[in-house]
Amino acid sequence: MKGKKRLQKSFVYGLLIALSLLFLLPFFWMVMTSLKGPEELSQFPPKLFPSKWHFENFSKAWNSQPFNLFLVNSLIVTALTTIGQIISSTLVAYGFARFKFKGRDFLFIILLATMMIPWDVTMIPQYMEFNLFGWINTLKALIVPSWFGSAFYIFLLRQFIMSIPKELDEAARIDGANVFQIYYKIYLPLVWPVIVLIAVFNILGSWNDYLGPLIFLNDQSKYTLTLGLAQFKGVHDVDTNGIMAVTFLISIVPLILFFLAQKKIVEGVQTTGLK
Amino acid sequence: MKKKKMWFSLLLAVVVIIMSACSSNNTSGDGKKDGKTVLRFATWDTGDTLKIQQDIAKAFEKENKDVKVQVEAYGDGFDQKIAASFGAKNPPDVMYMWDFTTYNQSLEPLDGYVKKDPDIKMDDFYDGLFNYSKVDGKLYGMPAGFSTMVVYYNKKLFDQYQIPYPKEGWTWDEFKETAKKLTDKSKKQYGFAVTSEPDTYDLQGLVWSNGGSFISDDGKKIDGAMNSPETVEAIQMYGDMVKDGIAVSTGGKNQQSASAIFKANKLGMLINGIWPIQGYKDAKVDFGTAMIPSFGSKPVKGLISSSSISIAKDSKQKDLAWKFVKFYSSEQAIKMRTADLPVRKSIVEETKVNEDPLYKPFYTMLENATNTPAFLMNRNWNEINRNLSAAINAVMIGQDGKPLFDKAVKDSEKYLAK
Amino acid sequence: MKSGLSVNLAPSSLQIKRKKQWSKLIPYLFVSPWIIGFVVFTLGPLLFSFVISFFDWPIVGEKKFIGFSNYITMFTDDPLFWHSLWVTVKFALFFVPLNIILALLLAILLHQKVKGSSLFRTFFYVPSVISGVALAMIWGSVFDGEYGILNYLLSLIGIDGPDWLNSMNWALVAMVIASLWGQGTMMLIFLAGLKNIPLDLYEAAEIDGAGKIYQFFKITVPLLSPTILFNLIMTIIGAFQTLTLALVLTGGGPLQSTYFYAMYVYENAFKYFKMGYSSANAWIMFLIVLALTMLVFKSSSMWVYYENEVKSEK
Repeated sequence: MKGKKRLQKSFVYGLLIALSLLFLLPFFWMVMTSLKGPEELSQFPPKLFPSKWHFENFSKAWNSQPFNLFLVNSLIVTALTTIGQIISSTLVAYGFARFKFKGRDFLFIILLATMMIPWDVTMIPQYMEFNLFGWINTLKALIVPSWFGSAFYIFLLRQFIMSIPKELDEAARIDGANVFQIYYKIYLPLVWPVIVLIAVFNILGSWNDYLGPLIFLNDQSKYTLTLGLAQFKGVHDVDTNGIMAVTFLISIVPLILFFLAQKKIVEGVQTTGLK
Repeated sequence: MKKKKMWFSLLLAVVVIIMSACSSNNTSGDGKKDGKTVLRFATWDTGDTLKIQQDIAKAFEKENKDVKVQVEAYGDGFDQKIAASFGAKNPPDVMYMWDFTTYNQSLEPLDGYVKKDPDIKMDDFYDGLFNYSKVDGKLYGMPAGFSTMVVYYNKKLFDQYQIPYPKEGWTWDEFKETAKKLTDKSKKQYGFAVTSEPDTYDLQGLVWSNGGSFISDDGKKIDGAMNSPETVEAIQMYGDMVKDGIAVSTGGKNQQSASAIFKANKLGMLINGIWPIQGYKDAKVDFGTAMIPSFGSKPVKGLISSSSISIAKDSKQKDLAWKFVKFYSSEQAIKMRTADLPVRKSIVEETKVNEDPLYKPFYTMLENATNTPAFLMNRNWNEINRNLSAAINAVMIGQDGKPLFDKAVKDSEKYLAK
Repeated sequence: MKSGLSVNLAPSSLQIKRKKQWSKLIPYLFVSPWIIGFVVFTLGPLLFSFVISFFDWPIVGEKKFIGFSNYITMFTDDPLFWHSLWVTVKFALFFVPLNIILALLLAILLHQKVKGSSLFRTFFYVPSVISGVALAMIWGSVFDGEYGILNYLLSLIGIDGPDWLNSMNWALVAMVIASLWGQGTMMLIFLAGLKNIPLDLYEAAEIDGAGKIYQFFKITVPLLSPTILFNLIMTIIGAFQTLTLALVLTGGGPLQSTYFYAMYVYENAFKYFKMGYSSANAWIMFLIVLALTMLVFKSSSMWVYYENEVKSEK
């Protein structure tokens, strides 16, 4: 019995390590490419490690443009959209998951439907609207809409809230709690892992968003990191080193945040004092 | 209750941050900034060439102290951004432009401005360049820079196989012979590189040189031009070089590019414009340039890729925009544009760039660039080009050309009538 | 607070009525942020794109009303419409099930009690962090027929790999593989779902002598079903909107074998400047995806198990 368990465990570890290598390889390749000199970029057989380590590629790429400024802009946008998404999406999801009201199912279908129309065709009217508001070339165009919830997060939260036993809030209601108290005292702590999950997704999504900034921002002083990154890829020439180096540098922030957050995601409901 | 207070104060803090983040920058569109008029100038340039644009903008600001030129660099996303801003009637005042048949309705004709400003010296520009920014006889853009296509070759590889460097007036047969000698499959080393999904534009020089064309001279017919034996033969030659193993097939978009392989010294020759020349120097490739080979005794034809700058019809400060365009076309600004070829003859005479052996072939090709590219000859070229691209793509991955081109012609006929 | 005040007073019938009306409003209050946002930011553009689908609008020119022409052209006179739809369906048929299965398997693997699980979780998520051009360049250097890493590795074990991205048969396969790499999002959602399943259910099953496979299908799958539903719907929607990778890696080629429907919509809008036509394309895609989603939703009553709904039925 014990031997079988050990065999099982080592199988699991073997699989985990093999898969990790598979998933890390492209990332590793990116980092190594960013450290190579231009003459080493395409070689056969492919060489994993550069023959000479060009660490200066990072500073060269970062300083080729006001990336510090872009970083600040990206941080502002990411922080504000994430807070907005969390507050609005939890409220809305709670409304959809815990109440029966007229038009609920219809509204929910509309909510889902908003994800199914590609942005290509609503982008121009949205541009016109934001232009009317005076939001073009400001970060507002990227931030404000996120304070009204987004379908993906609302849907995700709804699924989790719906799988929480309803007896809980009945008990609280008997204790005299109103619906808002139930929402933030009982449900918010219970779905906390999912909220962290949403934060992770939104941080990454907002951090890596390219089309939104491209369409709504004009002045370089408003640019986000992704727009700065796009400056390495011209119509005629591509700066492979620059792209790889900056992509690696800007992926550090979401990766660290993810590493810090992931423990929260897997804490699960049972440890948050439900039983 | 404690939690509630926390939420509330968090909310408050966020609102305050938003207000301060947003209210501090109030420059949307063509407003004013720090008491200066803002002129928006959009470019697709990136990297070092973008720096040049910024320097030109600064030089303009020096002469016009009350103006701030906002250089907007969109790189690869240029077309999408420009299209969206035109659609929403909020375009930049001045922008780079090449696709005049698509955009001319939204651009300001410049003939009137040019007439009023004789000191712009229109006859100092290479004549052919204006063809690229004229639609129905009206001028919509001033030439900013251009390039022709030449053959780049790796001297190190040529020396290694003791092959003489390409000479002026060489032929495609000699080219293929050379490519064959340079190829060593076991080393993954090839004589030439062919893009499997080329921009059809870039192949026009090749087609013209063989006496073919994508479209009839009046721009009204493609049957007998796009599928003519001369056109098909020229394109098929590229496909065959891949089939015969003397050219490597490179992918489209962001896949391994011919330039990358060239930089790694695994490619003997490739055809490109002036743009990557600095990159090759940086990668320390020992290279030379040569003119494009000819098909036997037929004359070689050059192809110009030009970029111009234009003014948006919806701009609210067209006079200022023209002032900038004029400055951009001045000798001072053109001299600053070192990443492609100068559009004014006087600059070339002054700098003697055409005598530099690396640059000379570009000027030889310019002398031969007398044909008009297809996109300027028919309004619906984009639609036709969709079918043509499919046919060329098929040839490049090894299919037989003739029936494909016949099909492209058949599928495109409906766009010609419009 | 209103309710607090009314406790001290003897509740009159009017007050009870008012309170009832108030409580009827409460759900709307909760969903109001989204409703406001929808009306202000989304509804207008959506209606605009719907209306414009009946127009000929070259973006840089005037709009011209042409009735149903765009829709008629699409179905009768544009082989690319059918082609791109077929490419997308083929992609979805492979990608949707593979993505869900892979993400679920990875989540289950990570759900095991192992040392260093934080690291493994991060490793599996790393590919999802890279986006845009860099991602395309990485895949370009992996799949390249001559100089690619994948074919080099294959050659080490004696396999002569295809020219992935230049082969009509393999390019779509390469797209599926590359897309599966970014499964991190789905995996995390599954993981969060798995952690929500009470452990005592498994313990009870263990005592009853149930095997692992039995436990998986009788406990894990039913209790995870709301999450599976979510991931299924999102993957379907995602598969139909797959654009970026095709756009930056293959450009839809070779010979349009990776020309996805989303790319068709995109190119009609921003390469051929036919915004009206593109909007019509988008609305047809909307109908297709909506129909699929509704189908999944309708079927979900048979296989999705919500804790609270079952409990309230009792």
